Amino acid sequence: MKQQLAGTYYFPKSSRAASVELLVNGEMVNLYQDKKCIMATNTAQLSVSSAIPGVALEVDFADGGKFVATNSGDRLSLASGKLERLEKSVKWVLASVLLVPLLIWFGVAVLMPKLVTESVNYLPDEVAQEMGEQTFYALKKSILDPSEIAKSDREQVINQWQQALDKLGLSREKFQLHIYKSDFLAANAFALPNGTVVITDQLLISLQDNPDAILAILLHEIGHVQRKHSMRIVAQSISNTIIVAVIFGDLETVAELLVGTTAALVQNAFSRDMEREADTYAFEKLVELGIPATAFAEAMQSFLDLNHSAADLPATQRKGLLRYLATHPDIEERIARANQYAK
Amino acid sequence: MDVDNTSKQEVQFNEVPVEFSGRGGEFFGIWIVNVLLSIVTLGIYSAWATVRTKSYFYANTKLDSHAFSYLAKPLQILKGRLLAIAFVVIYSLVSNFFPLAGLFFSIALIFIFPWIIVQGLRFDSRMTSYRNVRFNFHGTYGAAFVTFILLPIVGVLSVYLAMPWVMKKMNEFVLSNTSYGEQRLTTYIETKQYYLTALLVLLVTVIGVAAIFAIVYAALGGLGLAAFAGISTAAQIAGGLVYFALIFLVNAIFKVKIRNHVFNSTEFEDLAKFRSNMAILSYFSLIATNFLAIIFSLGFAYPWTAIRTARYLAKSTQAKISDKASAVIDTMGDHNSSFGDEAADAFDVGVSVI
Repeated sequence: MKQQLAGTYYFPKSSRAASVELLVNGEMVNLYQDKKCIMATNTAQLSVSSAIPGVALEVDFADGGKFVATNSGDRLSLASGKLERLEKSVKWVLASVLLVPLLIWFGVAVLMPKLVTESVNYLPDEVAQEMGEQTFYALKKSILDPSEIAKSDREQVINQWQQALDKLGLSREKFQLHIYKSDFLAANAFALPNGTVVITDQLLISLQDNPDAILAILLHEIGHVQRKHSMRIVAQSISNTIIVAVIFGDLETVAELLVGTTAALVQNAFSRDMEREADTYAFEKLVELGIPATAFAEAMQSFLDLNHSAADLPATQRKGLLRYLATHPDIEERIARANQYAK
Repeated sequence: MDVDNTSKQEVQFNEVPVEFSGRGGEFFGIWIVNVLLSIVTLGIYSAWATVRTKSYFYANTKLDSHAFSYLAKPLQILKGRLLAIAFVVIYSLVSNFFPLAGLFFSIALIFIFPWIIVQGLRFDSRMTSYRNVRFNFHGTYGAAFVTFILLPIVGVLSVYLAMPWVMKKMNEFVLSNTSYGEQRLTTYIETKQYYLTALLVLLVTVIGVAAIFAIVYAALGGLGLAAFAGISTAAQIAGGLVYFALIFLVNAIFKVKIRNHVFNSTEFEDLAKFRSNMAILSYFSLIATNFLAIIFSLGFAYPWTAIRTARYLAKSTQAKISDKASAVIDTMGDHNSSFGDEAADAFDVGVSVI
């Protein structure tokens, strides 16, 4: 088959250019400048650029010369044009417009969380152990200060905790309770992946008349440990980073921001689900100990009161858009769930 | 400074057109099909997508009626991308599961960072050609370490007073180490311009933030936490818009002032001179409308925004070329990795001057 293209020829290793005609006839390739043949070669001595809509065809010759077609629509039958046909096909473009959002949603909101939840079960215990110890060490060096509560009071709380663990058949070794003062965390409690549980002076003081509420909060925290929540969060954030980097590596900043936002919203929803899961764990264990689940509701109520007096900030009034940015479910919703469970 | 005074006068320069001929509809098809293929191939195709996208923009950018070419091959990019991703996976695993070990990793990163920058700039330059002559980048690791690690530390220690000078040094490092064939880029950028721009940015930021507080105060009659908590959803959106507008304005000032200065004070001696006449308000409205279009189209307007941005940049650029432009020599071999480039992408440390 014979093909003829008008274009510009750039001489090897220099910017010298000439207006030429490229003639391809079977395996023979000739370049004509002002009707004079300036090069004769064959198709084995050149590489033709992949066809892209709106991009002029480029032919690179083995000696370093280059031909660029004048008309951006001109093509040689030497190069495959399959991808270009997809990119120009209305059918494919429309299908992509529908499929891309669906697949992104499916990947980020369905597939990855499922994979992540499954995969953390295969992580060896040593990882959680190491992660917990290192985090605890870092926290002790930074935001945790020695407790100012009387030693006898602290021992009483720890004793009560250990008795509860014994009754539930949980390991005293694993779920060690520590009491620290922390201005940064204020009234708070948390559990690390290795089972270490920390409660702050401020929370103990505000719940000192209600040991069952303290127990409810601690059980909620070890619910996170038992369900491997921190490992899931870490795995989720890693997988989101990878998805964005791998698939959207060339999306440019603003589009990356959008994908990032979707991932963050999903992650917060994920986090709200995990809080509910830990709540349910606490309800179950409270009942096992013969304590009504309303103890959890009381603990939550005291959080509400604390927040009201501390910052004048109505924490329950997460209205409108802000709700989707929250990592925890609404406190009143959690209180209602506890009361519901108690019935 | 005006480069017209700095070049010898015997060389004849001619004004040549700078054009961008890409079209939104055409690029939309390329983009959306490539995103789909990237997703279904679990990211492998993204290397091909990158090459096709870059080729589209390069080939549609014409200087003196000659187009630019993007030379990278997809497999080169894929290889670099796989290495970079392996690195990111190891890094995030280590820093999440073993926080202390992650700290050491971060320190190591400080030493890897300049290498990534140099590799990325070198790859980008060498993969760009104009009239069959490649660009090149000659910056060394040592100079990059000083420019991108030590100088910013100096900048922070000086309570940011030295930062504009540090930014000028960064731009200078990139510009003066770039060459077209064997011809080096010469730059005369001035520290003064960076300080003037920083002052303008500071002034606008102060006025803007003051304006936001004034609006909140007027609307709510107070600035306490309680007042903020009482803001309705509509007011949250309005507040967000004002905030974004300020960010875009600051961005626009910076980009426009610095790009104009860089273009007007940099040349390929005896070969090419450039001029940039971007205007703050028109660029601001460009990036602000781009942002709104992307938000309200759920990302689908991205191709259109990329095309109109490229068209705007081409329209704001003028070039003069001498008759020597047709006799530039290219002496480069082809040996280079794309790893530095991809790692830079994944860590979001792109160094851009213009």
